[in-house]
This record gives sequence, structure tokens and C-alpha cells, in this order.
Amino acid sequence: MDYDPMAMDDAESLGPVVKISQADSVRVKFELQNADISFANSLRRVMLAEIPTIAIDLVEIESNSSVLADEFIAHRLGLIPLNAEGVEHLLYSRDCDCEEYCENCSVKLTLHAKCTGYENMSVSARDLVPVGERINQSLGTPVINDKDGTGPLILKLRPEQEIKLECIAKKGIAKEHAKWAPSAAIGFEYDPHNKLRHLDLWYEKDPKSEWPPSEYAKWEEPPVEGEPFDFDAVPNHFYYNVETAGNLPPDGIVTEGIKVIQQKLAGLIHELTEGEGEGGYDGPRSPDYNSGPDTGYGYSTSYGGNGGNQSAWGGGGGTTPFGGQTSYGGGGWS
Amino acid sequence: MAARPDSEDIAMDDAPTSHQPEVKDDTMVDDAGEDVEEEEDYEEEEEEEEEEEVQRVKLLPGSTETAASFEFSNEGHTLGNALRYVIMRNPEVEFCAYAIPHPSEAKMNVRIQTFEGTTAIEALEKGLRDIQELCDVVTDKFVAAADDFEKKKAATA
Ligand SMILES: [Zn+2]
Repeated sequence: MDYDPMAMDDAESLGPVVKISQADSVRVKFELQNADISFANSLRRVMLAEIPTIAIDLVEIESNSSVLADEFIAHRLGLIPLNAEGVEHLLYSRDCDCEEYCENCSVKLTLHAKCTGYENMSVSARDLVPVGERINQSLGTPVINDKDGTGPLILKLRPEQEIKLECIAKKGIAKEHAKWAPSAAIGFEYDPHNKLRHLDLWYEKDPKSEWPPSEYAKWEEPPVEGEPFDFDAVPNHFYYNVETAGNLPPDGIVTEGIKVIQQKLAGLIHELTEGEGEGGYDGPRSPDYNSGPDTGYGYSTSYGGNGGNQSAWGGGGGTTPFGGQTSYGGGGWS
Repeated sequence: MAARPDSEDIAMDDAPTSHQPEVKDDTMVDDAGEDVEEEEDYEEEEEEEEEEEVQRVKLLPGSTETAASFEFSNEGHTLGNALRYVIMRNPEVEFCAYAIPHPSEAKMNVRIQTFEGTTAIEALEKGLRDIQELCDVVTDKFVAAADDFEKKKAATA
């Protein structure tokens, strides 16, 4: 067999390590070690685009005498971050039994403002009022973090102008529209000294002086002068900087991100193991197809040498809580 | 999201999948045609049922026990690259690669070729379970690290 036993000794078989260097209400900075770049990138991608949140999706405008066009205001409303706490209990409207929307798949917000004074008036996210039944008292409430307590500005009204509208906020993911993104930005870097030469740094005279070192440069060994290039080296330390848009706590974005990957996998495993007899798999199928995880292989996993059902990634052992038949199998996106 | 009209799908089925040998003969084309007609009748009766049974993995034609191509719907590099890597780590797998044949089609293909000890479908399933395990451990480690950080912050404050 073409298998190199040395692969057992690579960093990955030690199991992943997570170190947090900064965490507050806005961001979490952490380092992931001993994972492959493909997984590290999956985590980054999933946090960017596939975590469900809630955002305004439908706007019914009753009156608008402001200078801004209806659709312009509707677009601005969509981009306002809403608290997504408990959004996992909200249904996607497309999966709901209702006609268009209901309290099980949406949150209704109203906005009514009229400038009655002599000065121009600002209408901001604070003026959006959630109405009707909600799953909890936070879901769908506009996020307000500024010191004035107004939230993002929606529009301004001159004296005697009026805006009256009703918004329907729905669950969604950023893959469909960026307004559902939980993260304002995700920093992702590795190899701060560019030892792997994945970067070709542009420079005028000297790249060393022209490119300021990354904040993680001191976390890793600087290259030794005259050191030969290591052709076997792979990136092994990944530095994330997850900044929230306010709808989810930053550490929640990370755990939710991993959960989205888990749901994706659980759905696929479910389909692979339960999908028999539905047709479609006209191809070959092994007789012990339905046997549990890791049976019938007869070799130990390549991650840490412990065979069978034990967690091979060096973690808390045992079977996964998501393993096999979970509640995730059904609807939803992937 | 609105489902794509069926008529468009038929055209896609007829097109040979990339890197698959064109072994389609007349009978297969006929079969496909019949299926579509049946499906249309079925859809009128039970439209909701139809929508729930979206198949997310498909075995592509020309696959054998130990050498198979899978087509994932609505998946991309997020799953593809991690899956490719983790399947390739399996010592009983000879070859694994993934591709997104066309950027405007939400489809991702994975090719798996194994040695005699296992089958491609088993290797795929094992790959999926391996990423699950990894996810579990990373979650645990992250939560532990976050708790640790909070404790330290509380101690210094
Ligand atoms: Zn509903």
C-alpha cells in the first residue's frame, strides 16, 4: 500500500488547539493550531456566508413624503442589524406552513415618524418598533451599540414630512444576501513571516522595511538567514479575527459556524445512510452499508492511532453528539 | 427560493458530465424522457412533497465500487476542499479530488478512488464523519478557551 506511516507523526495527529488572545463584545481573536488549511478555510467561509440571522426582507410603505425613494429606504432597512438571539427557533419562511409569513417565521417591525418641529428630524433604527408575537423578547430588535443610543440612521425628515411603514424581518443566510451576515469582518491569516512563500510581496527597494510585520509575527519563529526552503512545510497556525455586526455575540459566530458545518455533514450522512430505497443510488453499495460509524473498515484512523469509535482528534473521545441520526436531517439549506 | 423549471433540468441531464466517459445509449435517453413526464404528473398532485425530497448527493454514472464520482448540490469549496483533504488522509483511499465544474451551477463534484479494502461510498461517509469529529473537538476546545479567557479576565479585573 502506498501509505506513509510517517504521516501519523504530523502536527495534525496531536489534535487541534485553540488559543484566544482577545475577546470582548465586538470581536474575538483566536488561533487555531494543528488543523489543515482546508478546514480552517471552511470555518472562515461558513462564518462569512452561512450562519442564519434575521434581517428585514419585506417592507410595506404606507406613506413616504421624505425625499428618499421607497425602494431606497427599503434597502437601507434591510441592512440594519437585528438581534438574532434565538433565531434557531425561527423557521425559514419557505419551510413554514403559512401563506406568506407568520410569527413562526418572521418578526414584524413598524416605523412611524413625522417631523412636527421646525428643524430637520433624524429617523434611526431605535424608532423601529417590534410588534406582535415573538419567539423571545430580543429576536428582531434593532441592535443599538452607539453611545447616543440611536442606532444606524435610516433617513431624515424636513418639517411636515412623514414616514410610515411596516417591515417583515425573516431568517436567512449571507449566501443569499449580505444583509444576513453575522460578521462585519473576518480576519484570517497564517505564516506571518511568509516562510511558505504563499505571498509574493510587492516592494520598491526592500520588502522587509516596506511591509510592517503582522501582530502575529512575534508568535512564530522568524526565518533564519540563509535557511534552506522547507518544501514539506504546511501552514499549521491560523489566526482569526471575528468581528460581529451586533446580531450575534462574536464567540457565538464561531460556535454557530461550526454548527453549520456539522448540520451540513449530518444532513449528508443522513442522506447517505437513510436514503436507501429512494432510487437515485443506482450504483454499487456495500452490504454492510447501514452499519454504524467506523465499522467494517478494519484499520485504525489516521489521526491518532486509536481505532474504532473513539474521537481521533485528541478531544473528548466518544461518539459525536451529531453522529448519525440527528434532527438536522430534514429541511433547510446547506 | 423558486424551484428551477423542469424543462431546464432536462437539458442539463442530457449534457455529459465532465470527466465522465460518454456511455449514454439510446435506451438511457428514452428512460430519462419517460421519467420527466411521470414527474410532471406527480408534481401536479403533490407539489409540496416533491420539494422536500431534494437529493443533495448523487452518484454519477460510470462509477464502480472502488472508483466513484459524487455530485453534491448546493455545496462549494466550503465542504469540497475540507472533504477532499480528509478523505485523502484515509490510508485506504488511493485518490480523491473535488471540482466545481461551472461557477454558475451550484454543484460540486468529488471523485474518490480506493484500494480494495473499502468502497468509495464508505470512504465518503468516513470522510464526512471525520470532519464531524474534528468539528466536535474544535467546538470543545474553543468553548474551553473562551471560558478560560473569561476567568482570567475576571481574575485580573
Ligand atoms: Zn410562517
